[in-house]
Amino acid sequence: MTIEQVQSEIQSAIPGAKVEIILNPSPSAQHSLLLDHEHVLAVATYLRDVSELRLDYCSNVTGIDWLPREKSEKVKVKNLVEGVEQEVEEVHKTVVPGYLEVVYHLFSVEKKHGPVILRLRTEDRAAKVHLPSLTPIWRAAEFQEREIFDLYGVIFDGHPDLRRILMWEGFVDHPMRRDYVEPDDYEYEPTPHDHVLQRSREESGRH
Amino acid sequence: MSGSYLTILLLLVCAVGFGVGPLVLAWIWAKAYSPEKPGPYKNATYECGLESKGVVWVQFKAEYYLYGIVFLIFDVEAIFLLPFAVAFTGLTAGACVAMLVFLFLLVEGLVWASRKGVLLST
Amino acid sequence: MIDEQLKIELSRQGIFTTTLEELYNWGRKNSVWPLTFGLACCAIEMIATTMARYDLARFGAEVFRPSPRQADLMIVSGTVTKKMAPQVVRLYNQMPEPKYVIAMGACAISGGPFKQGYNVLKGIDRYVPVDVHIPGCPPRPEALIHAFMTLQKKIDGQHLSGADRPRHLNEALPSEFVVPEYGAHDLEPRSNDLVWPLPMSKAVTQG
Repeated sequence: MTIEQVQSEIQSAIPGAKVEIILNPSPSAQHSLLLDHEHVLAVATYLRDVSELRLDYCSNVTGIDWLPREKSEKVKVKNLVEGVEQEVEEVHKTVVPGYLEVVYHLFSVEKKHGPVILRLRTEDRAAKVHLPSLTPIWRAAEFQEREIFDLYGVIFDGHPDLRRILMWEGFVDHPMRRDYVEPDDYEYEPTPHDHVLQRSREESGRH
Repeated sequence: MSGSYLTILLLLVCAVGFGVGPLVLAWIWAKAYSPEKPGPYKNATYECGLESKGVVWVQFKAEYYLYGIVFLIFDVEAIFLLPFAVAFTGLTAGACVAMLVFLFLLVEGLVWASRKGVLLST
Repeated sequence: MIDEQLKIELSRQGIFTTTLEELYNWGRKNSVWPLTFGLACCAIEMIATTMARYDLARFGAEVFRPSPRQADLMIVSGTVTKKMAPQVVRLYNQMPEPKYVIAMGACAISGGPFKQGYNVLKGIDRYVPVDVHIPGCPPRPEALIHAFMTLQKKIDGQHLSGADRPRHLNEALPSEFVVPEYGAHDLEPRSNDLVWPLPMSKAVTQG
């Protein structure tokens, strides 16, 4: 079943579900489906139980942090240049806001096929980081969603036990985020140079 | 008459001295050389490095009693069954019956445990 | 004190002479009981060292004790994560004196390949005094045996009295070391100044 067939099957089975295909241009060509928050639980249940796919095995859950990035588009605009109307190409730069993304890799043990890849995106990286948890559908996602919560800060609504798993309780950062600044941890080096030498001079002044 | 008891007494003194002597020596050594260094971490309850939560004196559930009984059934069974199996061909009928009675008692315990649902692993 | 040459001469004649100190150290160095304590892949090498092929029992150290109350030696075998570090220090504190530490492998001595990671301690010697460091990733069992023999040499050289007597005979020196707390970004404190001075400070200030 191609990704387009999966998309149309989901859309016919669950009316109103937004399913967008994200193409993977690499040779592996593992295209994925971007789902909306409202229908994701229905879609996941459908994919697991009802559809021909019978995706009963969630092998992997991944988090990705997308920083805000610039997107440049070339637009042809008609301009008056020295009294003559000409078509001029202008580059419009728009900023795509950052978001956190969670990727689920699904396989079917029963039908022996896969993967079907689902993606979920949060609205932004700071405040609206809630996503529906798929742990009620695939129990295997529990620890991996906890890990994504721990390292990326995605809050999974409906997760049965959403606690930090690798870092300790009381840790405030999310270390896998791209803007994570690790604690200033000056380290002695046998042959210091550049900024390490600078730091060691400062430290020696302090002690 | 008293001489034979004297040797036993001597043996007793030697035996106790052999056990207590090194302890006394160790105690004197510790007093002379190594100072005691107690501390809050050192005296804390050992729990694999984690800080212990709650009180140490807790009551175990009575269900452990059942586990203990079942363990005993299998354990004792194995200990007595091995010599029974080794000497089986040379046994009289009476000994065989006695052994079967013993086995019956054990199996009875197993059935009792199984009725109570102890053997289920859910 | 008996002259060293005379002692050798006497032993040639079949007369064995010793001192209390030598007897004490001889007994101690041949009955170092390690703590059953493995953190990562280095622990596998440590286990191999105790097994028949490498046979750590030759050095009187085959008795791995599961309780720190009965152990003399802590072999920090593997990556110490920041989440694990307080437990390691607390276990060390719970060992009775005299106690020794072997930091086994690149991770235990410096953080190793995970040095720049967000959750790996950059060497256990920041919190506890380490007697022998073993580099390697992981070190071979021979390396651990060598470290063990080095530790035995160290024990053999310790004096029963005098200013340079070891820590367990000196009332003024501490037997407990500060257990780090989980902070908001890192462990608090970052290191124990008693065991982790900044060795660069002096070198830099002196030029």
